[in-house]
Amino acid sequence: MTTTPHEEEAPVRGMWRQGLEVFVENRLALVGVAIFVLLAGFSFLGPLLYHTDQVHTDLTKVYLTPGADGHPLGTDGVGYDQLGRLMLGGQTSIVVGLAAGLLATVVGTVWGAIAGFAGSWVDAVMMRVVDAMMSIPALFLFMLMASIVTPTVPMLIVIIGAFAWLGPARLVRGEALTLRTREYVMAMRGMGGAGGRAVRRHIIPNAIGTVIVNATFQVADAILYVAYLSFLGLGVPPPAANWGGMLSDGLSDTFSGHWWLLYPPGIAIILIVLAFNFIGDGLRDVFEVRLRRR
Amino acid sequence: MTRYLLTRLGQALVIVILVTLITFLILHVLPGGAARAILGKEATLEQIAAFNHEMGYDRPLWEQYALYLQRLVHGDLGYSFQLNQSVAEAIAQRLPKTMVMSLASTVLAVVVAVPLGVVQAVRRNRWPDYTINALSLLAYATPIFFMGLMMIILFSQVWAVLPPEAPQGFTLGEVLADPAGLVLPVVTLAILTVAVYSRYIRSSMVDNLNENYVRTARSKGLSEGRVIVGHTLRNGLFPVITLLGMYLPALFSGALVVERLFNYPGMGLLFWQAALKRDYPILLGVTLLISVATVLGALVADVLYAAVDPRVRLKAGRS
Amino acid sequence: MEAPTQPLLRLRDLSTDIALRRGTVHALDKVNLEVRQGETLGVVGESGSGKTMTVLSVMGLLPSGGQVVGGEILFDGRDLRRLEAKELRRVRGVEMGMVFQDPLTSLNPTMRIGAQVAEPLRVHQGVSKAEARDRAIEILRRVGMPRPDKIVDDYPHQLSGGMRQRVVIAMALIRSPRLLIADEPTTALDVTTQRQILELIDDLREEFKMAVILVTHDLGVIAGRADRVAVMYAGRVVETGTTADLFRAPRHRYTEALMRALPESAAEGRLYSIPGLPPDLSRPLTGCRFAPRCQFATDECRTGDVLLTLDAAGNGHEFACLHPVAEPVAITASAPVAETAAKASEPLLTVRDLVKEYDAGGSGMRKTAGRVSAVAGVSFEVKAGETLGIVGESGCGKSTVGRVVAGLEPATAGQIIVDGQDIATLDRRARHHMHRQVQLMFQDSYAAMNPRMRIDSILTEPLEIQQVGDAAARRARVSELLDQVGLPRRALERYPHEFSGGQLQRIGLARSLALNPRLIVADEPVSALDVSVQAQVLNLMRDLQHELGLSYVFISHDLSVVDYMADRIGVMYLGKLVEVGPASQVVRAARHPYTQALLDAVPSPDPDRAPAPDTTIRGELPSALNPPTGCRFRTRCPLAQDICATEPPLQGGTHQVACHFPLRQEPAQETSAA
Repeated sequence: MTTTPHEEEAPVRGMWRQGLEVFVENRLALVGVAIFVLLAGFSFLGPLLYHTDQVHTDLTKVYLTPGADGHPLGTDGVGYDQLGRLMLGGQTSIVVGLAAGLLATVVGTVWGAIAGFAGSWVDAVMMRVVDAMMSIPALFLFMLMASIVTPTVPMLIVIIGAFAWLGPARLVRGEALTLRTREYVMAMRGMGGAGGRAVRRHIIPNAIGTVIVNATFQVADAILYVAYLSFLGLGVPPPAANWGGMLSDGLSDTFSGHWWLLYPPGIAIILIVLAFNFIGDGLRDVFEVRLRRR
Repeated sequence: MTRYLLTRLGQALVIVILVTLITFLILHVLPGGAARAILGKEATLEQIAAFNHEMGYDRPLWEQYALYLQRLVHGDLGYSFQLNQSVAEAIAQRLPKTMVMSLASTVLAVVVAVPLGVVQAVRRNRWPDYTINALSLLAYATPIFFMGLMMIILFSQVWAVLPPEAPQGFTLGEVLADPAGLVLPVVTLAILTVAVYSRYIRSSMVDNLNENYVRTARSKGLSEGRVIVGHTLRNGLFPVITLLGMYLPALFSGALVVERLFNYPGMGLLFWQAALKRDYPILLGVTLLISVATVLGALVADVLYAAVDPRVRLKAGRS
Repeated sequence: MEAPTQPLLRLRDLSTDIALRRGTVHALDKVNLEVRQGETLGVVGESGSGKTMTVLSVMGLLPSGGQVVGGEILFDGRDLRRLEAKELRRVRGVEMGMVFQDPLTSLNPTMRIGAQVAEPLRVHQGVSKAEARDRAIEILRRVGMPRPDKIVDDYPHQLSGGMRQRVVIAMALIRSPRLLIADEPTTALDVTTQRQILELIDDLREEFKMAVILVTHDLGVIAGRADRVAVMYAGRVVETGTTADLFRAPRHRYTEALMRALPESAAEGRLYSIPGLPPDLSRPLTGCRFAPRCQFATDECRTGDVLLTLDAAGNGHEFACLHPVAEPVAITASAPVAETAAKASEPLLTVRDLVKEYDAGGSGMRKTAGRVSAVAGVSFEVKAGETLGIVGESGCGKSTVGRVVAGLEPATAGQIIVDGQDIATLDRRARHHMHRQVQLMFQDSYAAMNPRMRIDSILTEPLEIQQVGDAAARRARVSELLDQVGLPRRALERYPHEFSGGQLQRIGLARSLALNPRLIVADEPVSALDVSVQAQVLNLMRDLQHELGLSYVFISHDLSVVDYMADRIGVMYLGKLVEVGPASQVVRAARHPYTQALLDAVPSPDPDRAPAPDTTIRGELPSALNPPTGCRFRTRCPLAQDICATEPPLQGGTHQVACHFPLRQEPAQETSAA
């Protein structure tokens, strides 16, 4: 090579390092991470510092206003401490959101990948199934399922996960179809490489970004679905709690002026959904190799 | 074009059949089987046996499915013992109301989202874009019932100009007679839709503004307004037609929540009440119908798209 | 000598910046140019030289972030930068017209041709709809559109690329502009179409008495068409002069290097290549921008600013060089082919009656739409150490031949014999092994490399697949490969996106060499590269061929590159090999009318070369879905007669042709082969 003295060399950096640099550049993504860490810390570590009874109701202490009697955020209609309940509800919302998002992503990825690679009639059949299920509005499907089985936390995860995989399935199938025809896969076949290697070395590493980005949006959607199910009366029954359920309970209380039962869970949901969206956008930048061109 | 239409029609038909298969299977995994699900928990064994025989539920599954399909073709969606009404009749009463609300909010959403998305694209990465983007992301992250409640608090309490509840009429006419009551539900449902549409329109417009043909148009000395309205807008909005179809499931999901919140007597409310009472004939009937409506809507959108976009319309004439 | 006419357009110290995510690129730095009424100014330069930015600045079409930051754009004496927006739009819309590079995307896909063509009239002159339509038909007829009254109501996707470019030209001309700017108007088109378009622009310039700015990277296009030439490098004009002067006696060292890098001017069988890469324009630059790559540069060049100065000869020739060229550069336009003639006479590769067909359209369910005949009975041989060039226009099936030979796609029929073995008869393991013998090199190496793999993994991959050696041996082999293609070891830890186009082609070549193949199929390996970088890669390919005794199947649309590289050339048309023979004979004594038309269409960088007789083929390439019977070229051939409906066999000795009426008889030289 004829390297001239004027040509400067950029320092050698690994893929992770470069990715991190891009992620950090997206300030909203950092905000998203911060919000998530704060809310997760609040929900999971909070109860260790701030002890409340979230099992037994206390009818002597209903609708206490914030600040009264050692309840910084007041109490609800059956006497639970609202701040403690927010922590408990956060656990459910975050756990269900993450688990259902993960389940949907895994199922969808496997389904979409098989359809994309098998092609021909297998693909046609598998994708028509996805089309059919997708044409049933998700909430109707969730409620139908929730009316058949009793919604517990694991059940919610399964119900949401079992129907939210359709989006990722379509996405991954599309990725598989395009990646399969990429020139670098062709180049590999020209060296005598087989299909398995194409999948392992070329297709998965390139599709994984899309899958991960989509997974963060799946988590956000799952958290919203839990809220909707709770609002429609099919959430987890008490004494368990989730932000969506607290929010819908709070709806009926607002007209009596119990604002502290409405806004904190509402804001918490908005924040966590926003957080995952920000993180998703940041990750999208990371996996966009184009953005790394100097 | 004809070829495309036929293929698309065939696909839609396959999907509808698959949907019927799914509802059929759900009916059979119900606890206690179809008979108990339909007759209720109090039904005696004799009643169940008689019912099973009458409906053919003692025959092999595929035969049952054939019977089910046959009944569907004749418009027989089953009978709700809890409402003491045929499912078809119950749906027929409510379907128009849901359709009116969905349609109104879709029209509203398009009317608002198109200018928003266009402004975002034209002023991309400047403050109008950032502001609108932030607002639509916020709208997307807010549970729709929370949003609706805010609307009620704002417009029925703080500034009491609109009723907090939807019109309670038995027929469509009665509902339409009270347009003020429709405002909040329609607007609430539209807000989420606007958030989704404007993002989509923005990206579609940005893609088009980066196309070479826009540069060609500018080289003719056209004003920026004419370039956008005369050249980009049309191409940017074509894909939105397909989006209208794709978005239907989410729209109906939203309608379910909004109807419950505002107590609007449509399909969603019917479905919600049925879910609480475990009224399976209604649940399955509504699910089936709303899915068919989705498939048809998507089909209409695709056909419309093919009809207006010359690239699709004139494909057959070439090769 | 010349009448001192006032220039129609004059750029004075024009500077343009483009703001990017990181930093600002100073795309143009004090550019000075002028064009007079009725003359064609050629602007030539490599990618990133600023040639396109110059015309976009004039037209006010800079990409987002781009802005003219200094200087004057004087059009007919008025500075466009000072005009108010509305008047500026009128001047640009009515008095200037622009033709763009990519005709496929330059037209609004959902607007009828007529409406697009006549839009300037409607907007600027308020012409009625009916009249606009008539004017559109008229101008479409003028630019040579068949059935303009029908096409006026068509949409762009219904037309071929060449036809669309005619539409774009019509659109520019309908306003009777005084200045026509053509930015790489033919780069996306095949040579035969290119010739038609360039001739059209020439004719129209005379008819409309326009000034034309022709922007191109192709010196050949400029030489044949321009009156004066401006050479750009790194955001500056480095040399201007009349075409004859500049081509015969270039003064700037960059212009000289550019001309010597052309395959046509390969002197001792080796191309002159400019070392290094153009500078990064987002950094402050001092001195002559070419100095870092110039072998004549002195300290003076690197420190002081070097300005355009008039040649003392008084011919209006300007250049910005402190150590200008003194003696003329010769472009012979007839590369003395280094006949590396194959030593062994045993063919390494034999392709016999190769047929490749694809299903047309057919979306899974029904495949009755027909079959595309991509390759229809092609036979050829490649001997060890030999380079066979395959040329043809897009859609002729040359790439398909390459992919089938490299084992990427199965043949529909026919035999491919590598080293005496028919690969169709091999079992799976032997076929797997066969990939060691034949490797493919891609046009776009960036696309052909997994963006998430480091260069070391990319180069090791073929060794892993073929299970060659252990980890240490593979590492050693990869280092050796890097040395062979002249890249530093540091490259191993980097990712493909960190390299330039020329470097990527080197890595691509290194990868195809990894398994020590005997044959490399190179599919348009230099088409995406600039002339100077192209020369580096071509030289490297030839050096390695000598060193390793490789055979190449070199596929390209560019006759001059193939002429330089190949020992023998095969010409393809619509899936058929119409002519094959020794390179010098095919290029200088073509026997097939199609080959002759192709040769005549290639613009020559020699301004003295007489324009070729008008053998331009007319019409459009027929569909491969339903190709003509018999000789597939007969529908466009000037010599076609009834007998051409029967298929002519490929016949002859060393120089074979498939034509009933070959242009020449094969020279008798059978005995001289040894």
